[in-house]
Amino acid sequence: MKIVLPVILVVGTAGLMVLALVSGGNARGTVGIAGGSAMFTPKGTTPEVALHNLLVDVQRRHWDRAYDALSKTSKADKEDFIQDWTGSNGSLRSFSALEGFDPRPLHITDDQAEMRVALHWSTPVGPIEDVRDIHLVREGDIWRAVWPKYKIPAVPAEVIPVTYLRWDLVTGTADDQWGSKNVDAPRVRIISMNAVNTAEGAIVMGEVVNEDTIPAFVNVNSTLVDGSGNAIDDETSFDKIDHVLLPKQVTPYRIDFPNIDLNKVKNVRIDVKAALVPASADPVIGVMDQKLDTDAQGKAVLQGELLNESGQTVNISHVIASFYDNSGKVVWVSDGYVDRALLPQSSEPFAVEIPKNVSDKVHNFHVVVNQYSLARS
Amino acid sequence: MTNEKNYARPIPLTAIVLVALAVHGPLLLMQLPARSFDANFHMFFASHYAHHWFNPWNEKWFAGFSQTTYPPLTHQWIALFSTVIGLKMGYMLVQLIAILLLPVGIFRFARIWVNDRAASYAALGSVFLGALSFLAYQAGQLATIASAALYLNALPYFYEWIAESRKLALLKGVLISLTAAAAHHVTLIFGVVFFAVPVLWTACLDARRRLVSGSLGGVLGRTVAFGIAVGVGVGIVLLPYWLALIQHPIQQMPIPHDSRANYLLNSTIAVNYFVIPYGALILALPFILIRGSSSRRLIPLLCGFWLAFIFGLGGTTPLPQWLLGRAYEVLTFERFAFWATLLALPFVGLLAVQLLDRFQTKAAVGLSLAAVGTIGAALWWLNANPYRPGGSADVEPVIVFLNRDGHDSYRYLTLGFGSELAKVSTYTSAGTVDGDYNSARLLPEMTHYGSAQLTNAKFYGSAGMASLRAMLEHANRYGLKFIFVHDPYYEPLLTFVGWRKIETFDNGEITAWSKEDVPPAHQISSDAVPPAWQGLIWGILPIGVSFLAIFLELLLPHQRRAPVEVGVPFHEQDPQEHYVA
Repeated sequence: MKIVLPVILVVGTAGLMVLALVSGGNARGTVGIAGGSAMFTPKGTTPEVALHNLLVDVQRRHWDRAYDALSKTSKADKEDFIQDWTGSNGSLRSFSALEGFDPRPLHITDDQAEMRVALHWSTPVGPIEDVRDIHLVREGDIWRAVWPKYKIPAVPAEVIPVTYLRWDLVTGTADDQWGSKNVDAPRVRIISMNAVNTAEGAIVMGEVVNEDTIPAFVNVNSTLVDGSGNAIDDETSFDKIDHVLLPKQVTPYRIDFPNIDLNKVKNVRIDVKAALVPASADPVIGVMDQKLDTDAQGKAVLQGELLNESGQTVNISHVIASFYDNSGKVVWVSDGYVDRALLPQSSEPFAVEIPKNVSDKVHNFHVVVNQYSLARS
Repeated sequence: MTNEKNYARPIPLTAIVLVALAVHGPLLLMQLPARSFDANFHMFFASHYAHHWFNPWNEKWFAGFSQTTYPPLTHQWIALFSTVIGLKMGYMLVQLIAILLLPVGIFRFARIWVNDRAASYAALGSVFLGALSFLAYQAGQLATIASAALYLNALPYFYEWIAESRKLALLKGVLISLTAAAAHHVTLIFGVVFFAVPVLWTACLDARRRLVSGSLGGVLGRTVAFGIAVGVGVGIVLLPYWLALIQHPIQQMPIPHDSRANYLLNSTIAVNYFVIPYGALILALPFILIRGSSSRRLIPLLCGFWLAFIFGLGGTTPLPQWLLGRAYEVLTFERFAFWATLLALPFVGLLAVQLLDRFQTKAAVGLSLAAVGTIGAALWWLNANPYRPGGSADVEPVIVFLNRDGHDSYRYLTLGFGSELAKVSTYTSAGTVDGDYNSARLLPEMTHYGSAQLTNAKFYGSAGMASLRAMLEHANRYGLKFIFVHDPYYEPLLTFVGWRKIETFDNGEITAWSKEDVPPAHQISSDAVPPAWQGLIWGILPIGVSFLAIFLELLLPHQRRAPVEVGVPFHEQDPQEHYVA
């Protein structure tokens, strides 16, 4: 017992540890906090392992190790490489943390490999998936990623005249109100509404217009009612609407009712709330080169470019698009966030997805852009 | 007196308690635990008891929750003390009492296996445990420490009752066990496996070898009697807790916790949950294994230690997951490391005896440095670790804002406040939809996602942000109008979903956001509201058993049992020859 028991305990403990490692141990640290390193890392003797090691280092923000693992033929210097992952100018990417990744090989030869990796980002506005193709080469017995140069947009110095409209609010209300309660609410109207059933649940969507000559804060609430007049669920448009509407401006809205079957719904109640708020037309963001297309993964998308026509940086842009059929009815509302900042007078691409079954019906579309600027928050 | 003679005597228990007071007293007077993860949570619960002793329904978190979901003893003691010295010092005082009870418990627990001298070194070692400092000053696990200390004090009575049939030991053992359960039920449940089973096993060995008066059958019979008494007692004392658990079993999505990670794959987690809690004890691991295997009487203790040690490694081995099943995803594993260090201390006492006998002053210096280094590292880690509790902002303006102009007729949310959320909740009359106690949550916006507090949503990645989004989507439903932000990370989301900044506090460190069109909060109906009779027994029984235990200890002093000790080998060549037992 004197010898046997310690040996059993030591060997048993070691065996259990190996078992946990072999069965894919959980190395996860708290998201957003730089994690420590593993006690050992397998050598990148295959493209899969090399890419996995690289992405783990990126996830843990071990930039030195990650950059050292790149091929010497990479065009990116270390700063470019880091900025490629961490973003810049207060963009959505700079708030994001790489939460997970799913790599898969596209094409592998003896000394070249093309890998496609789905990157799962955790961001302040919800999860975002990004797909990236990464080229790897074999150097000796180790595979290394070849990193392309990240193009940081260069903005030349220039003077931008400010000609936008702006509405300030002189208010006598308490300081906990940012809208005005003691004047008539702006006139806003729902100009279209459509309810559809999807695999995820029921969706109510349409458009709202501000018919007034003053800006309005709008929010659309919807209640689904069953045959006996009881409310099944009530939800709001949340971030699938541009909440601040300038005079005569139209915004799409979409309200999701997860796990609700529309066939059980007898009635849909829509309620739009409006309040007078201060607003500004600046920054003006133009939507350019919009077209319906198919992306690299074969999904139907509306893509185009956002052009920041103002003189201030737009840190996060939110694109909301309504899609119409040939009778002018809204058949879908889709949205997406742009993870790169829009620098003054520069543009960034955007894409929002359309379900396959809807894309065939789409005859026209309308895009609005909501924005978040650090300077104005 | 020579050094050799000095070291040959046990250290008086009073002196050890004074050392504990000298080491931890100033740290607690400096209110070091006040910024730990859970301290504000405990004070929040205590504050509710201070104002509503017999009504465990608390409207301030989760739009209403029952405090019967957490054993109340430590909180009720804080509430009692708070009437005289305030909440914060009340917390510190209860923490100090728990810390002072620990070496007493360790001394008495260790004496089941080792002599007074080794037990005294074990007790002294408990003062400097890294795991103790980790739990007290970083994690703020007051209830775990208090319960473990009480449980360690109950187990020697358990041994005396089952081995020697002392009736007073039965009474005291049961009462102190109930008090331990009233402080923290999880400690009692797992303590049965890690602590009580080794004691029972040892008593069986002693009975078989006639080292104690009881027979083997008697030992087992009395164990059953003790178990029934404690089981029924815990069932009654914590009845509202069990009823709440039966009504709402914990079925929420598992919340990730770093203590469940594989420490081999993340060095920071390994330092946080292994190196810091164990400290210099890591060096004693080979001795514990060898010494624990060398005597039949020590094997039960070694097995208890090893099991707790493995559990304390979290996801580094698959054993906890295999044995705990679904409970694995609910528990956190730093407490197992704490229990493992407690179980290791009798061995450490033996090691200290051997070293002091052989090297006298050199050993004393080495052991002292190891002890001080261990607690020093744990205190240094408070500021060095990347997981240190945040919330350095002054939350007073937030409290003032919520308490004025009828703002408390709405619910609020804090983002980026960490454990300061509980501090805001303690001192404001407004309620929040968030809260810092995962097991009490019933709102689907929180239980359907693998995330803990909304205020820390970003640290839970997509799950955390999805939970926050779900809550913000239903802001009108809950009357959630005000959001206080102490981390600009959340500002884009608030902007896009219709909130606007209305005020800044603490030189811009905290911003207040509000949303138009939110109606005032109304009471959210819940089937979890405990009936009045539950509030009554919740307010009487847990604190009552603790008073009874104190009175029994003070009024009926106990004849100390002579330890059935394991001898200390002093010749390396053949240590077995020199064992007494």
